[in-house]
Amino acid sequence: MTSIGKEIREDILRISKASGHGHIPTCFSVIEILYAVYDTIKHDPKNPSWEDRDIFILSKGHAALAHYCVLAKFGYFDINKINSFGAFMSDFGCHADRLKVPGIEASTGSLGHGIGIAVGMALGLKIEKSNRKVFVLIGDGESNEGTVWEAIMVAVNLKLGNLTIIYDNNMSHLRGLQIYNPAERFKAFGCDVTIVNGHDVDSLKREITKSANAGNVRLIVANTKKGFGCRTLIENQYEWHRRSPNDSEFDRLMRELDEETV
Amino acid sequence: MRRQFRDTIMDLAKYDDKIVMVLGDVSVYLFNDFKEKYPDRFYNMGICENTLISVAAGLSSQGFFPFVHTIAPFVTERSFEQIKLDMCYNQFGANIVSCGASFDYAWDGATHHSYTDLAILRMLPHIEVIQPGSRKEVDILIRSQYNNGKTTYFRLSDHPHDIDVPVEFGKGVVLRDPGSDVTVMTAGPILGNVMEACRDLDVNLVYFHTIKPIDKEIISRFKNSEILVIHDAFGLYEAICEVPNLSVSYHGMPDEFCTWYGTLHDVRKKIRLDTESIREVVSHKIEKFRKS
Repeated sequence: MTSIGKEIREDILRISKASGHGHIPTCFSVIEILYAVYDTIKHDPKNPSWEDRDIFILSKGHAALAHYCVLAKFGYFDINKINSFGAFMSDFGCHADRLKVPGIEASTGSLGHGIGIAVGMALGLKIEKSNRKVFVLIGDGESNEGTVWEAIMVAVNLKLGNLTIIYDNNMSHLRGLQIYNPAERFKAFGCDVTIVNGHDVDSLKREITKSANAGNVRLIVANTKKGFGCRTLIENQYEWHRRSPNDSEFDRLMRELDEETV
Repeated sequence: MRRQFRDTIMDLAKYDDKIVMVLGDVSVYLFNDFKEKYPDRFYNMGICENTLISVAAGLSSQGFFPFVHTIAPFVTERSFEQIKLDMCYNQFGANIVSCGASFDYAWDGATHHSYTDLAILRMLPHIEVIQPGSRKEVDILIRSQYNNGKTTYFRLSDHPHDIDVPVEFGKGVVLRDPGSDVTVMTAGPILGNVMEACRDLDVNLVYFHTIKPIDKEIISRFKNSEILVIHDAFGLYEAICEVPNLSVSYHGMPDEFCTWYGTLHDVRKKIRLDTESIREVVSHKIEKFRKS
């Protein structure tokens, strides 16, 4: 884990402890993905509605806290603003509202929605013959939803070469409807598929930068670990799915982050 | 109505290059001219109603005015959450134009009947709900609402009425006001049957093509009369009941699936929405109210 990855995880733990709201393990699986996306795409934190920006959608909306913390790291807003996470009248809900938070392009939460919106955005940009690109992060658990596969079929059929789908393969699917060999499935659906270590920022950035073959939808299977960075979270995913740490748990998780940092 | 929808869109598209058609494998042949003239803005996206809505929301976010068009129950009941979240909550407004209203597809059975669409959609914030009854209403209301940034539901029927009424979005129309103690309120194509049924009865008659926002002012004008809502769907009655201190009753949908096949007219007769049955119901209401 890089020092930046550690800092973002520390922010998440601190805000989760203070707010009493969690989804920490799923946040920890996508931090490197989110960081790599924002370190690669065209965007301007000081002008979030810049008309030439690329677009990123967090379709697995329950990782909103990670998204907020990464946006803060890139300068969209002060990290301390997120301290009100989930509180009454806060701008920073446990699922993001695009009308409240700079940098959020679509309000997500109910799974299987963000990817369809992203397909529509990519189609709009294609009609306009724009060079802007659309990136969307979906989860493997989320991919139990039929709309994910509908949206992929539509994107492939429309030859949306400006769309990159990142699949957070953090093994959430093992809890219920299992999706083995996701890369083979996405290939069968007609995507240009690559597999990457979802906690290796450099590899992620290389893949995010690459273009698909003309007109093909690009799909990056990012192999990750739920709770990456803290042994306790990896080993006790069910218990930690939604909860936040108390004082002693917080100290333990912070120590574990230290041990995992290179 | 569908042909009018096509004609209106063809005309608007001459001047507005932000119109995008998103079809669910319905009316594809009807829009052939549009497809040939504007190939970059015509998409028969397939039989995937949920994704049609989500994609239209995404198109809207990029400044387009999408028209999602497919069969009513599938694009409303199945895709309710996509309409609620992707269009309304996100405020990525788009147009949803359905066909197959109420019992237009009577012969296809209960899977293809659509009578909850108006009622469920009107509950959502940031949406307009329109049930045009005639070709003229389709034309005027699409032109006035399609590019206002809101989500607008247009419910088309293959059985329009041919009554010429004034058309202004959000405004009900008083068709008859003899100062009667009973007021019939109705919406959409069933007006044809209602007008014929009430032709010489002593009732006031109020008509709506806009279900949301409902014209509360016009309803309030008749609050001292007994209001009878006659409608071949849910939604209008519930909207009227939001006006306080009314005495309202409903004649329309039964609490059962209408599994009799046949034609629209067969089903209307079975559930007592044919002209003769409506006349009996209204006459009974007049008589009962007079006695009380």
